This record gives sequence, structure tokens and C-alpha cells, in this order.
Amino acid sequence: MVNRPLEYDYTVAKMFMLTTVVLGIVGMLIGVILAFELAFPGINLILGDKLAEYTNFSRLRPLHTDAVIFGFTLSGVFATWYYVGQRVLKVSMAESKLLMSVGKLHFWLYIVVVAAAVFSLFAGVTTSKEYAEFEWPIDIGVVVVWVLFGVSMFGLIGIRREKSLYISVWYYIATFLGIAMLYLFNNMEIPTMLATSPAGETGIGSWYHSVSMYSGTNDALVQWWYGHNAVAFGFTVPIVAMIYYFLPKESGQAIYSYKLSLLSFWGLMFVYLWAGGHHLLYSTVPDWMQTMASVFSVILILPSWGSAINMLLTMKGQWQQVAASPLIKFMVLASTFYMFSTLEGPIQAIKSVNAIAHFTDWIVGHVHDGVLGWVGFMIMSALFHMAPRVFKRELYSKSLMATQFWIQTLGVILYFTSMWISGITQGMMWRAHDEFGNLAYSFIDTVTVLHPYYVIRGVGGLLYLIGFLMFAYNIYKTMSSRPVEERELQNATPMGA
Amino acid sequence: MNKLYLGGVIFAAFMLLFTYLSVSSSHGGFNGDIVNMLAVTGAIALVMISAFVVIKYVRQMQTDKASGDLADENWDGIGEFKNSLPTGWAVMFLLTMTWGMWYLTVGYPVNSYSQIGEYNEDTKVHNEKFEAQYKDITGKKLVDMGESVFIAECKVCHGLKADGIGGRAADLNHRIAAASVKHVLQNGSNNQLLGMEMPMPDRNGLINATTSMPITDAEIEALATYVSKGLTGTVGADVFAATCVMCHGADGKGVDSMGPNLKEFNTTLVTNILSHGKKGSIGTMPKFDRLNAKQKEAVSAYITSLSK
Amino acid sequence: MFHWLEKHPFFFAVGVFLVIAFAGLIEILPNFAQASRPVIGTAPYSTLELTGRHIYIKNSCNACHSQLVRPFKSETDRYGHYSLSGEYAYDRPFLWGSKRTGPDLMRVGNYRTTDWHENHMKEPSAVVPSSIMPAYRWLFTNKSDIETAYAEQLTVAKNFGVPYNKPVSMKDGSSKTVKMGASVAEAKSIALEEAKVIAADMRDQDVKDAVANGQIPEIVALIAYLNSLK
Ligand code: HEC
Ligand code: HEC
Ligand code: HEC
Ligand code: HEM
Ligand code: HEM
Ligand SMILES: [Ca+2]
Ligand SMILES: [Ca+2]
Ligand SMILES: [Cu+2]
Repeated sequence: MVNRPLEYDYTVAKMFMLTTVVLGIVGMLIGVILAFELAFPGINLILGDKLAEYTNFSRLRPLHTDAVIFGFTLSGVFATWYYVGQRVLKVSMAESKLLMSVGKLHFWLYIVVVAAAVFSLFAGVTTSKEYAEFEWPIDIGVVVVWVLFGVSMFGLIGIRREKSLYISVWYYIATFLGIAMLYLFNNMEIPTMLATSPAGETGIGSWYHSVSMYSGTNDALVQWWYGHNAVAFGFTVPIVAMIYYFLPKESGQAIYSYKLSLLSFWGLMFVYLWAGGHHLLYSTVPDWMQTMASVFSVILILPSWGSAINMLLTMKGQWQQVAASPLIKFMVLASTFYMFSTLEGPIQAIKSVNAIAHFTDWIVGHVHDGVLGWVGFMIMSALFHMAPRVFKRELYSKSLMATQFWIQTLGVILYFTSMWISGITQGMMWRAHDEFGNLAYSFIDTVTVLHPYYVIRGVGGLLYLIGFLMFAYNIYKTMSSRPVEERELQNATPMGA
Repeated sequence: MNKLYLGGVIFAAFMLLFTYLSVSSSHGGFNGDIVNMLAVTGAIALVMISAFVVIKYVRQMQTDKASGDLADENWDGIGEFKNSLPTGWAVMFLLTMTWGMWYLTVGYPVNSYSQIGEYNEDTKVHNEKFEAQYKDITGKKLVDMGESVFIAECKVCHGLKADGIGGRAADLNHRIAAASVKHVLQNGSNNQLLGMEMPMPDRNGLINATTSMPITDAEIEALATYVSKGLTGTVGADVFAATCVMCHGADGKGVDSMGPNLKEFNTTLVTNILSHGKKGSIGTMPKFDRLNAKQKEAVSAYITSLSK
Repeated sequence: MFHWLEKHPFFFAVGVFLVIAFAGLIEILPNFAQASRPVIGTAPYSTLELTGRHIYIKNSCNACHSQLVRPFKSETDRYGHYSLSGEYAYDRPFLWGSKRTGPDLMRVGNYRTTDWHENHMKEPSAVVPSSIMPAYRWLFTNKSDIETAYAEQLTVAKNFGVPYNKPVSMKDGSSKTVKMGASVAEAKSIALEEAKVIAADMRDQDVKDAVANGQIPEIVALIAYLNSLK
């Protein structure tokens, strides 16, 4: 029953927990600023006219997306891997000096790359491809960090005691492979400093600039094959890895069905990659490719829901736990939001629906019910569960967590309902013709009506950020709260009032 | 009724309200547009399905009990039941896969659908419908139509009141501003206002018949005042009569193939501007090829009506 | 079989990789075979236009603006002809965008002009009341980086056969040759010539003076790029 007490080494996990929290705050703070910039454009000048170049919406937007994806989410993925990996493989990082140093190197190089990325995006150094903005020098850094992650992952798997791999490990492996493949192909670019002019000059222009190997429609196709699957292997697969560990662990329940895990996993792997074209509906990519993407998007509902259902059924008969523990509430709501956005996505992938939804705030709404309700909730749950165990302290405050839960839930609801209205409004107004068959609205008319929804979204985002700060504070205080014994930590997390 | 279902119904009702709000706040409603209807149906389906599926599982949390055979393995204390697949899920997975294969091979195989073909048909239907509707409109209706074009296309530059937004584009409530007249007199003009290459000479080519000399600075000032005031007043009237009538007519209302109307806007003038654009002292006005003939006529009527 | 894979991580990983790589091939390869041929009337970007494109990217205008006209009546009425694949043949990277907070700009060169852009970029809400677009005033003082654009022209001409200094046919049957310098100095002087044309239609005296002195403020290059979008 009780595991052999093995001293797991959480040094690296702790480091990544720190960056999860810090970069989460940074990324979401920028998100809130962005939201208010759209509601009140004067905020573009938040630090004055002189610095507007660095604080305006367009310069900050990639910082937000990259900070929350490559900062917050990836840190969360790494932190949980360095925690979950040891435990389900029954092997401690401390057992291998080599793995320990690879892990630390992984962390420090990650910090260097993050710093370089932040700096370069502020400076406007970007290739413009969404979620792949970095120029080639940073790409190289990303690849090195990723290789180190792979080495430490497969290294740990290599020395494991538990012969067969737990479900979460499947998903971590898939995360590693998926991102590796996608990132490499989408970032094929030629540094322009390699060019030589007819006059024999070399090293012309800025050294970090590059030009994509693909052009036009091809470039778009590769980018959205990447972009869609970056969502898959960044916002879905590793988060599923987390819930498969933390929910059963925290609740002490066995996974409802191995078979369902199995089919969901392989189904997801197979189906996800075909759906990228749903970002390019009605574009210039061939019709059949678009149709294929729509069809696979609809099929994708089932493998996605498989995991969510498996989790909900794992909680069968455990309503008292859901009611009592805010930590379990977070996870149950996370899988609910996961179901919601994986049904919303396929609906938006239907061509006629996409005709309205594409380019509008409805997509932004879809994005955030996924990332706030699913990714954010799940990563915070993971850290809530881990913190008492890595610090050997009880979680500082349960009531703070409960309050945070309701504040953030309200935040997410305000966010996506306002974007839902805003998006459909925008989409319909763009299409409207008047009694004479002329366009009914000039573009700006379709912008001004959105103001109230932009304000509501800003408030929703602000609530979410406040909740996140409460989370950060709770974790911080946990480090100095009441110490607990290892055996008290088997399942439900001990929490102070 | 169970509290949960009540919650679900309330949630669904709220989301329906939001959907309703977005449709009505779009100031367009469904507009008979099938795409609008499908999008809204999608939104509603999304809410309903999510709400009731989740409630189903939450009910199971409340009333059911975990059961089944546990697998032998166990990871960090986490066990696994050997339960079989939930039937509903398995059936739906099979169905969607079958549907998908059918769709891609039988329903709409490669090349059986063309979005451009669909566009061409939609456009044709749209154009036929509206052409029939506006074919013979005139008068007030025409002006209304023109206003609708103006609001969608022109107000970004000329402003909602067509006043040129503080000199950033032409003020269309007046035929022409003094500064523009001066600029044209000094530099000439070649904007195909007559629909063809027919430049207006610059000051060296403008001979005052009374003095037989190219016009002077003072005369230019006078003309600018005179023309910009709609050819009224006395200042400049003499110079105009001596210099400009040949091309622009004694009343300034233009002469065919010689000079455009300077007194007021008219359909010919505005449609020519829309077809060729116009570059002057205020800036550059782009041409508007994408408007059809009726739209050009309508917006001309609207602009003409502004200074009436 | 799956149980076996779960005990053999290497083969598990290979299995996952094969399953995920498969779809990518089918989705991407067929298009590579055909999609990057330019349609008639598509010319490569001139030195100044390309510089402007870099400024567009640097400021992430694509965060709010798309460059893709979808084949709907409402879009072709608003923005002009729907987009064709071949029109993007020289776009590296593509700039379709995924969000239209502002209007599509695929053909903005057809219906907006230099002076309008100048006013608008300086203070959008002055021309379009209640616009939520930020003002881009620093573009009027920052200087353009012509050299990097030139390096890119050299790169694409060499690696992808982009036809610089070669005639390309236009829609009206004529042909057009886009010049690329033989040296950095020549590239700069080509760009300056283009800049003078733009500056002539502008109002800002500092910008005009800068161009007269051989410098190119970013706004000039950006407007050259916007005007080229047709
Ligand atoms: C040789 C014939 C000729 C004479 C003489 C002439 N014009 Fe014109 N004018 C034209 C033509 C042709 C145009 C249209 C040019 C164009 O297409 O841009 C024009 C255009 C103009 C415009 C610009 C209208 C606009 O909307 O931009 C003004 C103002 C004008 N004329 C004023 C005058 C005045 C005042 C005089 C007398 C001093 C004068 N013209 C003499 C032929 C003439
Ligand atoms: C990109 C900005 C822009 C747009 C859009 C625009 N205009 Fe203009 N328009 C101008 C400018 C600038 C001028 C002044 C040109 C000059 O210096 O004489 C002008 C001049 C005109 C004139 C001539 C006024 C005169 O007295 O000479 C007419 C008529 C006109 N516009 C009509 C329209 C109509 C109708 C539309 C919409 C279908 C439209 N404009 C859209 C910028 C624009
Ligand atoms: C916060 C979002 C936002 C950003 C960032 C932004 N724009 Fe805009 N843009 C808008 C909105 C909203 C409009 C419509 C209202 C208006 O014309 O100001 C617009 C309009 C325009 C137009 C007019 C197009 C037309 O058809 O009327 C141009 C051109 C333009 N923007 C260029 C740019 C460029 C270039 C950049 C980057 C340097 C940029 N925009 C950045 C929101 C944005
Ligand atoms: C079955 C699963 C899903 C499908 C089929 C799907 C489908 C879609 C579609 C059709 C779009 C809009 C493309 C457009 O018109 O611009 C989209 C955008 C997006 N989705 Fe999903 N979605 C799914 C799940 C998720 C989840 C779970 C998340 C995150 C947690 C997510 C994150 C995103 C993001 C970030 C975008 C925006 C991409 C962009 O920048 O344009 N999606 N998705
Ligand atoms: C405090 C909460 C947040 C707020 C207020 C916020 C706000 C915003 C805003 C205003 C945008 C730009 C939308 C537009 O262009 O119209 C945006 C985009 C985006 N955000 Fe957030 N955000 C928040 C948290 C997050 C988190 C936690 C994540 C990911 C884990 C995230 C991922 C994204 C992504 C992927 C996009 C791009 C969407 C697209 O291109 O369609 N955001 N966010
Ligand atoms: Ca890159
Ligand atoms: Ca996007
Ligand atoms: Cu996608």
C-alpha cells in the first residue's frame, strides 16, 4: 500500500515552481494591460509618450502570449515533470549525479533563454509567426533547452524502477516529441547575414535577422500546423499529464478506466495533427485540406473528452471531496472547461461557423476558456499539491484558496461570455448589408460597439490576476507554515485555515 | 427537480441570453444570412451539450460509487480500474469516425467543393436581388443609398459630417476651398475630372483677357475668394469673366470637355473623381473601383445634396 | 501490444512519433508542390517596401490586422478582390494574421493614401474618431534599417530565385523590373529615391527634412509598404 519511503529530490522542481509563479504573474499582468488597452486606448501611453514604443498593444501582445506559453505553462510542465516523473517512475533524481546536473543546467539555460526572449520581444525583434516569434539565435537556445529536457526525461526513464510507464508519462513523452518536431520545422529560416552583395560586402544588416524558408500559403500552412499543435502539445497534452496524476493522487481514487486512457491517448495523438487547417478556413489553402481539417476537428472531440470523462468518472461517488476541498474543485472545474473548449473548438472549426468566428473575439474567448479555465487552473492545482510536499509544510490557507477559486471562476466566466458576445457581434456586423445591398457598417462602427465588452473582459482578467496573486501569496506563505510529516501527505493535501 | 439540473438550466438560460444579446447588439440580427444562423446554432449547441453532459457526470459524483477490478499495477499509490469504455463515448467515437470517413470519401471527396464557386454563386444572387431593388430608385431614396455608401466607405477620410475632419480631406459641404483654388491656379491640375486627360494649365497658361498677361498674385487671391464662395460677390468676378469662362462657363457650372463645374457638385464630377481619384493641396483621394455604377451615382447624389 | 509499448519507452516514443508525423506529411507536402508560384501582377518588394514590411513586423501590426480577404461578398465589398495564393509568393513570412481588431490591409494601398496614413499613424483617433489603434509617433523619428532589407533581398534572390533586376509581367501586359542594388551604397540610394516620392506627399516637416538630408524615417518606409499592398 504505502510506498517505500524514497527520498525524492525536488531541487529542480522547486526552481521551476518559482518561474511558474513569477512568469505567470508577468504574463497575466501584461494580459490585463492588453485588455485595458483595447478598452481605453490611452493606456498605450501608460509610461508616457516616450516609452509608448514599448508599452503599446502591438509590442506587448507577443510578450503576453510568449510569457504565458513559454514562461508560465512550460515552467509548469517542467516543474511537474521533475516532481511527477520521479514519483511514478519510483526513482530519485538524487540517484544520478549526471541527471541532477542536466536538470540544473536545463533550468539555468531556460532562464537565459527566457531573459533573451523577453528582451528581444520588447525590442521588437520578432518574426511575426504566432507563438514562434523568436529569431534564430533564440531558436537555437530553445532547441538546446528542449534537448536537455529530453535528456533528463529519458535519463530518468532509463533508470526507473517502475517497469511500466504511467499514463502521465505517456503524455510527457508526447509533449517532448511533438514540440521538438513542430518547433524545428516551423523555424526553418535563413539568417540574412550570410548574404554577400555583388560588390563583395558580407555581414550586411542586423546579425539576428532571418527570412523564412517557406513563403506565402506554404508558410501559413506550416505555421498553423505548428500553431494548432503547439496548442495540442503545450496546452493539452502536458496538462492532461498533470490531471492524470494530481487528481487521483489528491483524491485517493483509482483511475476510472485504463482502456479509456489508452484510447484517448492514441486517439488524440492520431487525430490532433490533422486538424491544423482549421486556422486557415476560407484562406488560399486548397479546399480539400480545409475540409479535412474541419472533419478531423469534429472527430477530435471524442479523444479529448475521453480524458475529461475519465477524470470526472474517477471522482464518482466522491462529491463530499469536491465539496470540501477547493483543490479538488479546481481540478474538476478544469476538466469541465477542458470539455467546454474542446467542444467549442470543433464547432468553430465548422466552415460556416468559422466564417463568423474567425478573426473575431470569439476566438479569443475560446482561447481563454481553455487557457484560464483549463491550463491555468490545472497548473495552479499542481503547484498547490506539490508545495506542501516539496517544502514539507502544510498549505498555508485553505480559505484563501477557496476565495481564490470563486474569484477566478467569476473572472473566467466574465472573460469568455464578454468575448462571446463581442465576437458574434463583430462577425455579424462585418457581414451585414443594408436595404440597398451596401455594407451596413464602416469598420470603425464595428469597433466602437465592442467597448463595453472590452471593459468587462478587462475586469474578468483583472479578477483572474488577483486570484493568481492570492495563489502566489499562498504558495509563498506555505514555505514558512506548519511543518508536516511525510506520512500525512499521502493523499489529501493538509491545509491550514 | 434536482438542484444541479436547475443550475444547468439557469446556466444554459444565461448563455442563451448572451447569445441573444450578441445577435441583437450586432444591429443586424440574422439578416437572412444562413451563416449567421449556423453560427448561433453552434453556440447554442455548445452550451446545451456542455451543460448537460457535465451535469450527468456530476450526478454520478453525487450518487454513484466507484467500482470495478483494480489492475495489479500501481504508481505512487495511484491505481487503475479495468472498467470498460463508457458506452456513450465509445459509440460517439465510432460514429464520428465513420461519419468522417464517409464525408471525406463519399460525401465531399477531394475537389467536389469549391469555396470560390460558392462565392460566385452567392455574389450573383446578392447582386441580382439588389439590382432589381435599386434599379430605378431616384430622388430621396437615391440620396439615402448614397449616404449608406458614404458611411461605409468615405467617412474615414471625410468624416461623418463630410467636413473633411479639420482639413485632412476635402470638405464636401462646400464645392471647393479657397486654398484649393489657389493651389490649382498656381500649379494647374491634372486629375481627369472630366473623365479624360485634360489638364488645367498652371498660372503661366492662364491669360487674363483684359490685361493679356498671365494672372497675378493679387488676381489669384481674388479668384480664390470668388470661386470658393460659390462664384458670388464682386471681388474676382471680373478676372473670372476674363480668364476662366472659356472653360468653366459664365456661371462656373462647367463646359463639356473643357472644364468641370466649379459652383456645385454634380454626378459627372463626383463619379469621375471616384473613378480616377484626385490629388490636390489637401492630399490624395484614392479612386474607388470597387463601387458599382449605381453606388457611384448614389453617393454623388448624396454629396450634391450636402451643399444644396 | 500497448502494454508492451508501455514497458519499452524507446518503442513507445517511436510509435508516438510515427503517429504524429504522418498527418503532417499529408497535410503539408502536397501544397509545397504547387503553391508558391506568383500570379501575374505580383512583383517582389522594392528595397523601401521591404524595409517597411520589417517595420510592420517589428511593431506587430499583424496582431490587429489581417492580410487575407476571404471569398465572401461582405469582404470583397469592403476590401476588394478575394486573396489568391500566388499573390503571396514573395511573402516571407506570410502576414495573414489571425485577429481583426482593425480592418484587413491586404489591399489597403487601393483605398488609402500617403497623407491619410501619415495623419492616421500619428494620431488614429484624430482621423477616425474613437479609433482604438495606438498612435505610432516614434515611427516619425526612428530611422529605417535599409541594410537588413537589402540583406534579405540578396538572400531571397539567391536562395529562392526571387526575380530582382528581372522583368516581371503586370496585369495590363506591361512589365516591371524591381531594382536591387549591387552594393549597400546603391541599395541605400535606391531606397532614398523611393523615399523622396513618398515624402513629397507628406506634411511633417521633420520627416521631409530628414529625407532631404538622405535619412529615411521609419514612417516613410512603412507607408511605402502600405501603398504597395494592392
Ligand atoms: C484651358 C481651360 C481652362 C481654363 C482657362 C481654366 N480652367 Fe480651371 N480647369 C480646367 C480643367 C480641364 C480642369 C480639370 C482638371 C483636372 O482634371 O484636374 C479644371 C479645374 C479647375 C479647378 C479644380 C476643380 C477641383 O475640384 O479640383 C479649379 C478650382 C479651377 N479649374 C478654377 C479655374 C479658374 C479660377 C480659372 C480662371 C482663372 C480656370 N480654372 C481656368 C480647364 C480650365
Ligand atoms: C483615403 C482618404 C479618402 C477617402 C477614403 C475618400 N476620400 Fe474623397 N478626398 C480625399 C482627399 C484627401 C480629398 C481632397 C483632394 C484634394 O486635395 O483636392 C478628397 C476629395 C474628394 C472630392 C472632391 C472635393 C472637391 O471639392 O474637389 C470628392 C467629391 C470626394 N472626395 C468624394 C469622396 C467619396 C464619395 C468617397 C467615398 C466613396 C471618398 N471621397 C473617399 C480623401 C478621401
Ligand atoms: C490595437 C489594435 C491595432 C494595432 C496594434 C494597429 N492597428 Fe491599425 N487599426 C486598428 C483599428 C481598430 C483600425 C480601424 C479604425 C481606424 O481606422 O483607426 C485600424 C486601422 C488601420 C488602417 C486603416 C485601414 C482602413 O482600411 O481604414 C491602417 C492602414 C492601419 N490601421 C495600419 C496599421 C499599422 C501599419 C499598424 C502597426 C504599425 C497598426 N495599424 C496597428 C487597430 C490597430
Ligand atoms: C478539440 C479541440 C479543439 C479544436 C478542434 C479547436 C479548434 C480551434 C479553432 C477552429 C480555432 C480558431 C481558428 C481561427 O478561426 O482563427 C482555435 C483557436 C485557438 N484554440 Fe482551439 N480548439 C480546440 C481546443 C483548444 C484548447 C483545449 C485550447 C487551449 C487550452 C485551444 C487553444 C486555442 C488557441 C490558443 C487558439 C488561437 C490560435 C490563434 O492564435 O489564432 N484550443 N481552436
Ligand atoms: C489575467 C488573465 C489574462 C488576460 C486579461 C489576458 C488577456 C489577453 C488579451 C487582451 C489578448 C489579446 C486578444 C486580442 O488580440 O484581441 C490575449 C491573447 C492571448 N492570451 Fe491572454 N490573457 C490572460 C491570461 C492568459 C493565460 C494564462 C494564457 C495562457 C496560458 C493566455 C494565452 C493567450 C493566448 C494564446 C493569446 C492569443 C490568442 C489569439 O491569438 O487568438 N492568456 N490575452
Ligand atoms: Ca524563429
Ligand atoms: Ca492569434
Ligand atoms: Cu487549432
